[in-house]
Amino acid sequence: MNKIHLEITVNGEARSMMVEGHRSLLDALREEAGLTGTKKGCDVGDCGACTVIVDGRPVNACLMLAVEAQGAEILTIEGLQPDPDTLHPLQEAFMEHGASQCGFCSPGILIMAKCLLDRNPLPSDEEIRFGLSGNICRCTGYTKIFDAIRTAGRRMAAARAQSVEA
Amino acid sequence: MRRFEYHEPTSLKEASQLLTSLGEGAYFLAGGTDLFVEIRERLRQVRHLVNIKRVPGLDQIEWSDQTGLRFGAQVTAGQLEASGYLNGRYPNLRAALKALASIQVRNRATVVGNVCRASPSADTIPPLIADGAVIETYRPGGGRHIPLAEFFAGPGRTVLEPGEIVIAVTVPPPAQGSHRAYLKHGRRKAMELATVGVAVSLEVEDGLCTGARVALGAVGPVVLRAPQTEAILVGSRLDAAVLNAAAEQAMQECTPISNVRASAEYRREMVGVLTRRAVMLALEEAA
Amino acid sequence: MTKHEFRIVGKSVKRQDVIEKITGEGRYTGDYHLPGLLSGKIKRAEIAHARIRRIDVSRALAYPGVKAVLTHHDVPRVLHYGSPHPRSASCTMDQYILDDRVRFWGEGIAAVAAVSEEIADEALDLIEVEYEPLPAVLDIDAAQAPDAPLIHDVGPGGNLVIPPVHIERGDVEKGFAEADLILEGEFSGGRPVPTYMEPNVCIADWDGSNKLTFWTSTQTSFMVRGALAEVLGLPLNKVRVLVDHMGGGFGAKQDLFQHEFLCALLAKKCRRPVKMEFTRRETFLAGRSRHPFRLWLRQGFRKDGTLTAREMKIVYESGAYGSHSPGVTNVGTASATSLYRCENVRLDGRAVYTNTPIAGAYRGYGVVQTYFAIDIQMDEAAEKLGIDPAGIRLRNAVREGDIAPSGHPVVGYGLEACIRHGIRAFDWAGKRAADRHDPANPAIRKGWGIGCEMHGSSAYPGIKEQGNAIVRMNEDGSVTLLTGAAGLGTGAHTALAQIVAEELGVPFETVSVVHGDTDVVPWDIGAFASHTTYLVGSAAKMAAAELRQRVLARAAEKLQEKPGHLEMVEGVILVQGQPDRSITVAEAMGPSRGIPAEHLVASGSYMPTKSYSFAAHFVEVAVDTETGIIECRKVMPVHDVGRVIHPVAAQGQIEGGIQQGIGHTLTEDYVIDRTTGRSLNAGLVDYKMPLSMDMPDIETVILEAAPDPGGPWGAKGVGEDPIIAIGPAIANAVYDAIGVRFHHYPITPEDVLNGLRRKAAESSARD
Repeated sequence: MNKIHLEITVNGEARSMMVEGHRSLLDALREEAGLTGTKKGCDVGDCGACTVIVDGRPVNACLMLAVEAQGAEILTIEGLQPDPDTLHPLQEAFMEHGASQCGFCSPGILIMAKCLLDRNPLPSDEEIRFGLSGNICRCTGYTKIFDAIRTAGRRMAAARAQSVEA
Repeated sequence: MRRFEYHEPTSLKEASQLLTSLGEGAYFLAGGTDLFVEIRERLRQVRHLVNIKRVPGLDQIEWSDQTGLRFGAQVTAGQLEASGYLNGRYPNLRAALKALASIQVRNRATVVGNVCRASPSADTIPPLIADGAVIETYRPGGGRHIPLAEFFAGPGRTVLEPGEIVIAVTVPPPAQGSHRAYLKHGRRKAMELATVGVAVSLEVEDGLCTGARVALGAVGPVVLRAPQTEAILVGSRLDAAVLNAAAEQAMQECTPISNVRASAEYRREMVGVLTRRAVMLALEEAA
Repeated sequence: MTKHEFRIVGKSVKRQDVIEKITGEGRYTGDYHLPGLLSGKIKRAEIAHARIRRIDVSRALAYPGVKAVLTHHDVPRVLHYGSPHPRSASCTMDQYILDDRVRFWGEGIAAVAAVSEEIADEALDLIEVEYEPLPAVLDIDAAQAPDAPLIHDVGPGGNLVIPPVHIERGDVEKGFAEADLILEGEFSGGRPVPTYMEPNVCIADWDGSNKLTFWTSTQTSFMVRGALAEVLGLPLNKVRVLVDHMGGGFGAKQDLFQHEFLCALLAKKCRRPVKMEFTRRETFLAGRSRHPFRLWLRQGFRKDGTLTAREMKIVYESGAYGSHSPGVTNVGTASATSLYRCENVRLDGRAVYTNTPIAGAYRGYGVVQTYFAIDIQMDEAAEKLGIDPAGIRLRNAVREGDIAPSGHPVVGYGLEACIRHGIRAFDWAGKRAADRHDPANPAIRKGWGIGCEMHGSSAYPGIKEQGNAIVRMNEDGSVTLLTGAAGLGTGAHTALAQIVAEELGVPFETVSVVHGDTDVVPWDIGAFASHTTYLVGSAAKMAAAELRQRVLARAAEKLQEKPGHLEMVEGVILVQGQPDRSITVAEAMGPSRGIPAEHLVASGSYMPTKSYSFAAHFVEVAVDTETGIIECRKVMPVHDVGRVIHPVAAQGQIEGGIQQGIGHTLTEDYVIDRTTGRSLNAGLVDYKMPLSMDMPDIETVILEAAPDPGGPWGAKGVGEDPIIAIGPAIANAVYDAIGVRFHHYPITPEDVLNGLRRKAAESSARD
């Protein structure tokens, strides 16, 4: 199998790697880039554990070939923190609310929730539920996750309002 | 994933030639959301994938008052869902897109891919059939326009020839007094394959139904039109008695099978319930 | 119990392990990579019952990139258990690593190691197998038929996994003779699977001294160590099992799996590390499910609702191997002695082999099935006798001192408190009096129901358990807790650290937890049976208490005081009554003139008896009478868990259990084709777990009604309880909504429509 030279930007860092054509973006991130925070829960697009943002849109990294990401900007869970000493408001809220139990679904859900809140910091309950409909969590019953997203959204909206005032 | 060779043509001609010359085990790749699953689960032996995403000109969504909506083969379900063109014109297609798998999948899956997969339970096919969509293809010897209702040859099979590529779908503009709806039945509210899907597209003038197209998903080898059901609706005032008669008729016109998702009897019963509800929903959602 | 003002226990402190999970830095087994790592894959049978006549791996071996192939010809033929609880008599020796016989569709028949996962996967297709088909036994009835083909040569015969469990108390005939109402019914249930998000995965690596290092996603690392050592013929100190973060288990990751042995053997053969990772499909084929069951229940009641007699027969379907069937059958059968008190009981519990995937341990362990039946029949009795369903439960609820399923008197009794609280908080009477119609949709009927449960923390007396902890205070005053308890994701390590910090008198943040390395941590039986906080928590508290004495003794030397005059609060050691005389723990442990720095170690071992936790679940459902779809709209779980260590974590356990319980009651069922034994829905689209849009509003209530003296400050278990009561609560609510009784789960939309038709036919026949 011939390898293809792939250049992508992951969490703001330019990466180049050689990948085989059949390699999924998920496998390339986990095995070539060493970014194992993105999880493989089903490998067929049913669970959402491998959700990453590619050029601004959330996708299942298992349902995309690495070569299809040529030139793309990718955000994974490892890039969610604004800096190494600061947690994203969603991460803070997940801690507080107990929204992460076994944690295997958390990277995908956090990425999905970020997409949701970036567009709409104050989503309705219905919008939160709809936004997470492609992410399976088997530990929490989702209740704590919904709470955490609401809390983070409120804080992000407040911070945004403050920065506009300032 | 099983291994395969990857190809990235940059023109329709090249893509078509590649597919023909690579022979058995060569497939086009659009969104890939079904194809990769089939490869992993060994449902399809793939030796070569010919990705058409680098072919220019297939990523457009256009609207014209005369010819309606046209979207190219690279347009994802998410892009079409987000485009303003569906609002008020194709609420049935919009509902189908919103019900298709998950947000993440919709950001990769193409609508044309969903159609070409030719699954009887595909969400986008019933509304597109009910709205009279037409498939546009590229062929080395000259492309074709194929009404979607004539596009399917069986489950997973279309009338496309080897090397023929679907480049776009056109959906005519809604007529005056158009009312449309799509209802999907599943056990969950999301991440579902339709147990039954019913799309209706009606024209109503002064309370009188002047046109009706009803398409039934997941209850036959292909998505079915229900012409006799449509005949009951057309010319009527769509009152409760007519709706019940139409629902009864739709149940007669489908040919469901039993599988792990539902029995044939239950599917048939749901065709009745959903047909009636879809007409009622369509009347509420005036185009 | 002396009054104690808690500083850390009872507070929802930040879970130490969660920060790693939400940043993506936490390592799960599949995230580890070793130099030279090979990928292992398993060839799975596509037949339910057969003898392997011939298996030819030559083409697979010759395939470029393949390093080794194993079949039953190449592996040690050692009979072993699936569920190797080392102190339990209730194990069944019925498995080989690979056998020349296939007992279920999906069973491993060969294993390949190759340089990549793709190559290993492709090589599976090159293995040629010739079967001699055997007649397959595909359900409970077929297994029990007099002339049924036998699946195993071992066991008591007749496809029984173990001899029938028989429990008899009081005088059942007398009890029925005293009854004003006798109800009899048959019940059954499907095959829910735990569907943890992290597929099973392990990595095996041998070193030059013939020592095996084995990473695996397991709840029971010491049992993995024990079984691997036994089967591979190694001493225990030559097997090191490592578990870091775990993506859930829910009971099912207690077994020793075929792939774990094969991974170790492939690595040995290749002299290179091998990783084996299940696909999602394999978690269905080769994972463990709850036991499908058939149950017959007959109960007698007086006019006032008092139970007079109970007779129950249950048959659990074990699938192709025994796994946890002995435990499940014993625990499940015994559970029917209680919940609702009854002096006269006669119970018969069995487990049978079938040629279907293996049923094992899954949250609720045999009790989900029995209480589903008992709690539905309780509702039927209430209706027949004209008593409120909550009222009949209050009348019969198990009381302090009653003999529990374990055979011991119930200590700490919270069921009545849960029911009474829920009646008020849920507005039970108001809701039950409300209109069943939904003004927004004429096809909808609403209904309200209740279900109850009790469940033991710890597996005693089935297994003689032992909880162990080592607590170390380092020279700087920081504290390290060493525990063998697995971190499934429940927050158990945080709870243990809270207990240690509370007992020691140090800030929570100064306690760190070391776990998951069998070479380092004290022996642990595993994380199951809702017992980690109860059992290991008690051991940790004991260790912390001893360490506290030793730290205070050292501080006393430094302060020239008697240890008895000292106390330790938030890491500061104070002389009682002399607020100006204090030193920090760091100062106490560090060096000072003439006294070198020191670290102190204490350990605790605890052998528990048993405590019971209780719950009452109140639910609202909406039934679409045209589609048959049941929507669970509201749930109020009211739980008594004794002392709550970490309220948010306890709530999270409850809410997750409810999600799984709604699932098995309404939508989840792993379906095996009744003619071929083939799986029909081994994936996350057709195995339908409730997802974000399907979940009801849950308003969790935790009562500290009945602390148990056996747990730390009275703490009891919570893990399994929430999955048990929700099922009958939903079934009862569905009856309240549409007047149709269901005696099975899942209750499908088709069942609802058929039930409504039956009801209509019956009422028109009456007219």
